[in-house]
Amino acid sequence: MVVITGQVPSALQGTDAFQEVDIFGITLPIVKHSYIVRNVRDIPQIVNEAFQLAEGGRPGPVLIDLPKDISAGMGEVVYTAPLPLPEMPQPDSHAIQAANEVLSQATRPLIIAGGGIAISDSVEIFRKFIARTKIPVTSTLKGLGVMPTDDPNFIGMLGMHGNGAANHAVQNCDVLMVVGARFDDRATGHLASFAQSARIIHLDIDAAEISKLRKADVAIVSELAPALEGIQLRDEVSTTWCGQCAGWKKEFAWRYDAPGEGIYAPRLLRDLTRAKTEGMTITCDVGQHQMWVAQHCSFDNPLDHLSSGGLGTMGYGLPAAIGAKVAKPQNTVVCVSGDGSIMMNIQELATLNRYKIDVKILLLDNSALGLVRQWQEIFFDGNYSEVHLDDNPDFAGVARAFGIQARSIRQPEAVHDAIHWLLNTEGAAMLHVAIDSMENVWPLVPPGKANHMMMKSVPLKEVKT
Amino acid sequence: MMNQTLHIRLRNVEGAVIRALGLIERRGYSLDNCTVSQAQGDDRRMEVGVRSSRPGDLLKRQLERLHDVLHVELLPVTANHKHNPHIRPLQGENK
Repeated sequence: MVVITGQVPSALQGTDAFQEVDIFGITLPIVKHSYIVRNVRDIPQIVNEAFQLAEGGRPGPVLIDLPKDISAGMGEVVYTAPLPLPEMPQPDSHAIQAANEVLSQATRPLIIAGGGIAISDSVEIFRKFIARTKIPVTSTLKGLGVMPTDDPNFIGMLGMHGNGAANHAVQNCDVLMVVGARFDDRATGHLASFAQSARIIHLDIDAAEISKLRKADVAIVSELAPALEGIQLRDEVSTTWCGQCAGWKKEFAWRYDAPGEGIYAPRLLRDLTRAKTEGMTITCDVGQHQMWVAQHCSFDNPLDHLSSGGLGTMGYGLPAAIGAKVAKPQNTVVCVSGDGSIMMNIQELATLNRYKIDVKILLLDNSALGLVRQWQEIFFDGNYSEVHLDDNPDFAGVARAFGIQARSIRQPEAVHDAIHWLLNTEGAAMLHVAIDSMENVWPLVPPGKANHMMMKSVPLKEVKT
Repeated sequence: MMNQTLHIRLRNVEGAVIRALGLIERRGYSLDNCTVSQAQGDDRRMEVGVRSSRPGDLLKRQLERLHDVLHVELLPVTANHKHNPHIRPLQGENK
């Protein structure tokens, strides 16, 4: 991403001028790089460099701050061709050899697929690697869709709200190959207890991720494709281990027979992806609905699932959906949001209407900041503070006021027709779904606990192979 | 807690020094001393002494990610490090 910001004229910078803000300084910790343009003739070089940096290596945001005298200024400018992307680091042959040795000694190998696989456009190569090696795969939140959800080698998402199968597999593996992922605390749980008996092979483009949180026994800092192509398994993965993973997958399969009279959001989300046609992108906001999407929707491609991971930014969903629809107009784009999150950027309903962008909004309304309420219930004895949103506006009415069609449901019997209506209505539409405000996301690895210590899940079983 | 010294070569551009120093503190390294001087050509040379329970080589790799950082050298821990006697180690971290 390249962001161009307007700045007060150069001569007024540093004088607290009207609407002056040190955006260069404010954004220093969150950009990959940034510029303040000081001369009109520097613009082509800076813009070219900005795009090269934003896209190259591990991509990241680049900011160009443009003082008004520069943006409105005249001058001799020589346009230059865009810069080529920087060369990607290639795998070190000794590291590949070490990875092969470690993997060949494994009896319980496991892979964590991270978001880096999609970013580096290596999904097909990764899938070929799995087809060739048959190593069981778990994924992070951002790695969902790297393997199709229903692939037999895919066990599920690991971590705080991951499924039991993935968390048991990762706690029992003896070699863990981490591909384009960074040992995020939501994925690892208590770090010292994470995959305790496993040796780690870490593949990443970013050298600064290696041994940042978990020491890598083998580190491959490289473009992903040649690294994956270099790794060869001497023997097939133990059928006992694969069988064990498959067993866990069956044992911990999601259940949808929830008690209660209201609409059960996980079942509704499962039904949403069952109803999908070719090419559906789901964006989400942050909170319970986001975790339910990760758990219960199925994805054939990582770009089908746009979710704010590491930063967990409420308000991401609707703008992301607008971007996804503009980028791929042929896709059905559904923004799954919550009643807390939608309010962060609800003004974007005007953008949908203004540019006639066909985004479908599925709003799961539990009249609460649900995930925070859940934590206050479990970890703070139900001492609720600032989580109740029972004075929410009439969301369907708000949508209509912006010129967006809307429907509201609260009975399970209405779900089937409502999903059909949402997906088949022409133009932007909102389906507002009232759900139980006390519903929780399960399982849950409490903060500071090991991944196998999941609440609402059965205890860890040791594996012998 | 370890004292580490790094020699950093930077481009002489707006924000380069503050970007590097900001990263050092944000990543959990406290800054004991810092000198910035003119290096070869137009570049700047920065010498920093840091303290942290986190490894120096990780900081080195984090600094190397910055576009304005041209080279980072991590001096061996035994090198002649200027220790600041006014800074007491934080309790429980002086192991």
